[in-house]
Amino acid sequence: MKVILPELGEGVEEAVISSWYFSEGETVGKDEDLVELVTDKAAFNVPSPASGVIKKILCREGNTVKIGDALAELE
Amino acid sequence: MNVYTDTPKMPSWLKKGLPDSKTAKELSRYLEAGCVETVCMNSRCPNITECYSAGNVSFLILGKICTRNCLFCAIGNGRPEEIDPDEPVAVAKAVSGLGLKYAVITSVTRDDIPDGGAGLFADVVKAVKKASPETTVETLTPDFNGSLKAIDKVIKAGIDVFSHNMETVARLYPQIRPDFDYSRSLDVLRHAASSGSVVIKSGFMVGLGELEEEIGGLLRDIKDTGCAFLTIGQYLRPKNSRLEVKEYIRPGRFRDMKEEALKLGFKKVASGPFVRSSYRAGEFFL
Repeated sequence: MKVILPELGEGVEEAVISSWYFSEGETVGKDEDLVELVTDKAAFNVPSPASGVIKKILCREGNTVKIGDALAELE
Repeated sequence: MNVYTDTPKMPSWLKKGLPDSKTAKELSRYLEAGCVETVCMNSRCPNITECYSAGNVSFLILGKICTRNCLFCAIGNGRPEEIDPDEPVAVAKAVSGLGLKYAVITSVTRDDIPDGGAGLFADVVKAVKKASPETTVETLTPDFNGSLKAIDKVIKAGIDVFSHNMETVARLYPQIRPDFDYSRSLDVLRHAASSGSVVIKSGFMVGLGELEEEIGGLLRDIKDTGCAFLTIGQYLRPKNSRLEVKEYIRPGRFRDMKEEALKLGFKKVASGPFVRSSYRAGEFFL
């Protein structure tokens, strides 16, 4: 399954990936913080929507991503 | 440091939980349909979802283009739009339609209008009070170039809280608020307080390079005007073209500033990294 960037608040359209808490091949639990994103005025942790192994990280640290973009693939 | 700019890396205390945007989104659509603007949206406020969800809205009147150019502000400057004569009705309708218990009305600075927009402020307040007599109304005004007549016009319209933000310490005014004057802004607060009929509120940001002892001076200057309510928050850069954050102030320092302000005699103080002038304004006042 794909990890999709959820809404970060009214009026926020994009954010920058600041840190991945896991690497490809590692196992993450459901609701465990997976990635940190920053906007101009706040930082957010995005939790993993499911348990699984991170197959592929699709957006690297420093990338700007839009709400609804796929950030990673889990299996 | 943040690898993409020279701004220090955003600290852990500026982390927010993922918001539930449903209520905020509905409110936002309602405001859009009613053709009213908010400073919440125009300033890209980080608290917007939280505030909208709790029914806290700060209306932005007199257009979206400011005649002054403060280097911390998200709102664009330039040649402003024509004044919308329907604005009082539109804001009043939104306040009553949403059943707001507390409404903040603020504006861009309009140096191009003889009264600085005070007349429209007064008309909006009167319309809101007529449609929603129980709603507490706060006006967060520009300095009206120090016009006492303009300040009186706003106060006489029937507001409950008069707010004017000092924003920063005196030394940083020329760099950060070049078109404003520290003493003039204090005079605005002092004159509003002399009316004796409304609560006076002000606020400022930290993290712009001010020194600790300068904060002490600012607190005393604001208190001496007769101001009773105070907000202190972290400066957060709204877009790349604005000033970079010099320092992220720790939550413990915000608590110390609050204690210092209360000791000086302020009645209510909201101080914290995410505190903004109108942050949860209703709960703060009511």
